[in-house]
Amino acid sequence: MNPEPFLNLDRVIHEKGRLAIMSLLAASPQLAFTEMRETLTMTDGNLTTHLRTLHEAGYTAVTKAIQGGRPLTTYALTPAGRKAFAGYIDLLAQIVEQTKQN
Amino acid sequence: MDNNWAAENLQTIRTLMERSTLYRRALAPVMLVSGAIGTVAAFVPRYANISTNQRFALYWLAVGVVAIVAGLLLVRRQALKAAEPFWSGPTRRVIQAIFPALLVGLLAGVFNVLNANPWRAGLLAQLWVIVYGCALHAAGFFMPRGIRLFGWLFVLGGCAITFATQSQPELRATEAAHYIMGGFFGLAHLAYGAYLFVSEKQKPSA
Repeated sequence: MNPEPFLNLDRVIHEKGRLAIMSLLAASPQLAFTEMRETLTMTDGNLTTHLRTLHEAGYTAVTKAIQGGRPLTTYALTPAGRKAFAGYIDLLAQIVEQTKQN
Repeated sequence: MDNNWAAENLQTIRTLMERSTLYRRALAPVMLVSGAIGTVAAFVPRYANISTNQRFALYWLAVGVVAIVAGLLLVRRQALKAAEPFWSGPTRRVIQAIFPALLVGLLAGVFNVLNANPWRAGLLAQLWVIVYGCALHAAGFFMPRGIRLFGWLFVLGGCAITFATQSQPELRATEAAHYIMGGFFGLAHLAYGAYLFVSEKQKPSA
């Protein structure tokens, strides 16, 4: 089996929690922190840590606003994040193809 | 390493992306409030003069506006409470899905209000029940619960009444039309809201 696709997998995305966050954000223009927390049943701390890692990699953008007098923090994928996620999916598809062939 | 992990990851990604697009607001309060409005509205004509076809159309258009505004306020309240945006992607998709069918209902209602020779009230009630069912069915593609089945109940129920009017023409009368509206937009919503209230309580994050 060609090991190249494995080696090229993005290490930032290739973690269960961060992959889940990227998947949610890839399907929505933006999501609130609480929406992600409830959908993924993650703790605040865990989700914050993963979001910080993704933000530092330049994959997510944060918007802070006030709605009805309460703070509202929303997250979205940056163009770099979308590109990295699409690349990750392509590599997974390649690995699936290789697995089928072997 | 399990050779299927990549395929499993892809499946997980697909599931999460689908889940991200689903409408998640609790529907029970919306159904219960709109059901209560519909039920009360069906009995008001017993004490008020809403017996002509034009008045029927105007009255139920107004009731519809009140129910929609009440529903939107409840959804907004839930969004504020959860620190989530009101006009979210899933909300937008649901509104886009129901809009064409509701527009047909609105235009039919307005036509009957403005027209000197409006349809029989029963016919308008049947149309409203059917197009509302179509709207629910369309919204069901972005909702996790049995909204599509609820939509089918309206579509089939409306069609059944249409056929029933062949043998029972009195169903076209204004009084019967008020009860048709109350049955579908009142009692059916109350029953579905009660079911959702129990099931959403057991599984609040669904």
